[in-house]
Formats: sequence, structure tokens, C-alpha cells
Amino acid sequence: MTESGIVDVDIDIAALTDAVSSQEAGAVVTFNGVVRLHDHGKAVTGIEYVGHPSADETLHAGVAEFAGREGIHGIIAQHRVGYLGIGGVALFVAVAATHRGQAFSCISDFVDWVKGNMPIWKKQFLEDGSYEWSECP
Amino acid sequence: MLIRYFAGAADAAGHENETVDAAGMTVGSLRSRLTDGNEQLGKVLAVAALLADGARVESDDDDLSDVSQLDILPPFAGG
Repeated sequence: MTESGIVDVDIDIAALTDAVSSQEAGAVVTFNGVVRLHDHGKAVTGIEYVGHPSADETLHAGVAEFAGREGIHGIIAQHRVGYLGIGGVALFVAVAATHRGQAFSCISDFVDWVKGNMPIWKKQFLEDGSYEWSECP
Repeated sequence: MLIRYFAGAADAAGHENETVDAAGMTVGSLRSRLTDGNEQLGKVLAVAALLADGARVESDDDDLSDVSQLDILPPFAGG
């Protein structure tokens, strides 16, 4: 699948990067949000991502908003749900723009937007066998 | 009214779904009822967003009488 959306299979980074590219774009910038080995000093073994039913719709709305920015020729974003081990790609974004500055600022702002607006949660599994919901008391 | 708990809220509540009679109930009175005897759910509810039939709840004074589905969303952690 080379469209934006919430997905429950591994993200095909090469296919999405290809799909966003165009002859009008002088810059294609991509972002991988990756499951890392540690968080606030604790060893992490993997993360399960859970989305609200509205997450797909929210992501599409965000993509549409950022696609309207000056110089942007294409933007594709996918967010994983389900379990990912260390190194797994949870969020992938590709932006094609006329100039690199437009692509860099668009992708940076878009990832910030995802963090603040996407109804997605992560259940982080720790090395000692316990788990925690990130950002949740 | 169907209450749907998500992620850490479901853990705190001990279940994902619950049906309550919301006639005459405000968001504030529901909060009191849900957190009575469940300190952990109280902590989550204090920072959670509530969606009443898909619309963000803005005030504890909102009336839930005509709401059929209330979603409880802990702080987002995507990306």
C-alpha cells in the first residue's frame, strides 16, 4: 500500500518514497520513527501501538492540511499499529517539495503534529517483563 | 450510554467497555462515579480527553443524557 493511513503490517519505506517523488520536486525528505532500546533509563524490548478508530481519519486530515503548504508536491505518512520489536518503524513520513527547506520544515512540523494530534498509544514492554503505557499516569 | 476505555484507561478501569445509565448525568458526576474506589482510573481521567459521540467534551457541566457513546482517551503517544 502506498497511500497514507494506519497500517498493521511493516511499512514499505522504499515504495512510499518512490510514490511521493515527482519530477517537480527537487527535494524528497523522509522520517522514520523507530522503536528504540531504551526509554527514560529503562531497557525496552518492544512496543505495541494501539489506535483509536478515528486515527486513520485524523491522519488523512493532517496529511491533507500539510499537502497544501507552499512548495509541497506530495506527502505520504503511515503509522503502524500492533507489536514492533526494537528497530521497528512505527511512523514513516515522506515529503516531496520544490526546495529542501520546504521539505525539511514540513516534515518536522508534521511529526510534531502527529505527536500532538494522533489518537495513538504505546504499550512499552520492558526487559524486566513489565509494561507501561507511555504518557499515561 | 456505552463507555469505551482506551489503552491505559482500559487497564485502569479493568475493562474496555461498560454501559451506564447516563440520564440526568453530567460529565462531572460521571467522573465521580467512575473514580470512586478506583484511584488509578482517577489519575488517568484527570488527564484524559473525552469524546461524546465523537465530539470533544469541553466542560464537566456537559449533560450526558443524550450521549450514546463516550470514549475515554489517555494522553496521546504516537510517533
